[in-house]
Amino acid sequence: MERVWWLLPMLLALVVGGLAPLAGTLLLVQRRLFLANLVSHAVLPGLAIALALRLDPGVGGVVSGVAGALLAERFSGAERPGQGGDEAVLNTVLAGFLGLGVLLIPLLHIRVDLEAVLFGDLLAATPLDLVRSLLALLAMLLLLGLRYRHYVYVGVDPLGAASAGLPVRRLRLLLTLVTAFTVVSAMTAVGVVLVIGLMGAPALLALPGALSLRQALARAALIGTLISGSGFLLAIQPMVNLPPGPMIGVLCLVLLPLASQRRRRLAAGR
Amino acid sequence: MVLRVSEICVRRGEQLALDRVSFTLAPGSLTALVGPNGAGKSTLLQSIEGQLPLAAGTIELDGQPLTLSRARQQLALMPQRGEIAWTFPITVRELVALGRLVAQRPGCCDVEAALQRVGMASLADRRLDQLSGGQQQRTLLARTLVQPARLLLLDEPCAAIDPPSRTELLRVMRQLRDAGLTLLVSSHDWGRDLDAYDRVLVLDRCLLADGTPQQVRQSLGDLRVGNHCCG
Repeated sequence: MERVWWLLPMLLALVVGGLAPLAGTLLLVQRRLFLANLVSHAVLPGLAIALALRLDPGVGGVVSGVAGALLAERFSGAERPGQGGDEAVLNTVLAGFLGLGVLLIPLLHIRVDLEAVLFGDLLAATPLDLVRSLLALLAMLLLLGLRYRHYVYVGVDPLGAASAGLPVRRLRLLLTLVTAFTVVSAMTAVGVVLVIGLMGAPALLALPGALSLRQALARAALIGTLISGSGFLLAIQPMVNLPPGPMIGVLCLVLLPLASQRRRRLAAGR
Repeated sequence: MVLRVSEICVRRGEQLALDRVSFTLAPGSLTALVGPNGAGKSTLLQSIEGQLPLAAGTIELDGQPLTLSRARQQLALMPQRGEIAWTFPITVRELVALGRLVAQRPGCCDVEAALQRVGMASLADRRLDQLSGGQQQRTLLARTLVQPARLLLLDEPCAAIDPPSRTELLRVMRQLRDAGLTLLVSSHDWGRDLDAYDRVLVLDRCLLADGTPQQVRQSLGDLRVGNHCCG
């Protein structure tokens, strides 16, 4: 058993590596990727309260992440179809929820390894973490399976989708909910802060030239899995021996020049 | 299908965006709705489509009040090009097929036929951002054609496209008119393209002129749009 200690964290890294870019790509094509940043910071107060009440911290994190997103959308106007929202409001909510989470830890007399929450601790992964990630992946696949064309319509023409009678607000809320679930499930693997990189970077490389959202999602998930898996393997090498979460975050940076080069090549080919 | 707009007023916040506008559209007609920026053209189209509440007046379709659910079944709005995310990963065919999400009725939603009608069948597998402006507009028009609508509301379809593309788009619109569809097309073009339409409505919050292109040019001889009183 000792010899395969890496199997569970590796599996978790692969699942999260596939899941986070799915949420990120969906948000990016709807010009709502900032929501991932917001939700990832807004999970902290719910997590602290859930721990104080001896509940599953994941549930508290999802509730608090969605609450933060709804509050930001309420005050920024981002709830209207086609609106990006006021970035100042989004930033204020992000900072407020993060601050509240940090304050609740001493106020509720709970012990939380803040570093692990923010940056992940893959080596401490439990089977429950893997189950949570698989459930989040299932929720994302269900959402895509049942509402794929709706999200395409909302992404390409949000006002048209609303006037066609699609439930744009409900679709956005569902995506927010699944995003919060994704962020919480990625907490152990890469942490709530670094998950943002895993949501955005693979999408940047996957979107140029993709003929459909489905193709972009598949590409992003594959790239994310590769980055996450290779980041984990690299981090646990004896000569490297560094935390896997930040390593995965740093590897995401490598995708930036690749994405830029790909966009240039596609533009030159037209 | 007869559309009757009677004395409608629409407010945008505190401002009156439309002031007692009335007209009737006959079936199988191609009508231009012209006016300067801010004249209320998009407001009028969105009001007809049921997206904006009327402060006064009525809109009827075949003698029946036009409710939102009836509008979704019988009207189709082609939005301004600025509303579309042109870099979204989607092909022409997939975008056109989205029109079928609106209302599914057998026999009215043939994507391939709509692509043929607007001359985009050969480009059906291209990404949207690989098309010219005119081709993008024809793609949007095809999306409205797969909806079960007989009345098409087109919001500035000829804006920001080159003259040959505009001519091609006007030709397609005339073909649709000949096939029995009713088209109301907003534009701020006062040039020769107006002659392609059966009728022209000139709007600047209120209706300033209504007639054939020639009649409207004559009646607007001494009336400068933007410098008048709607009473």
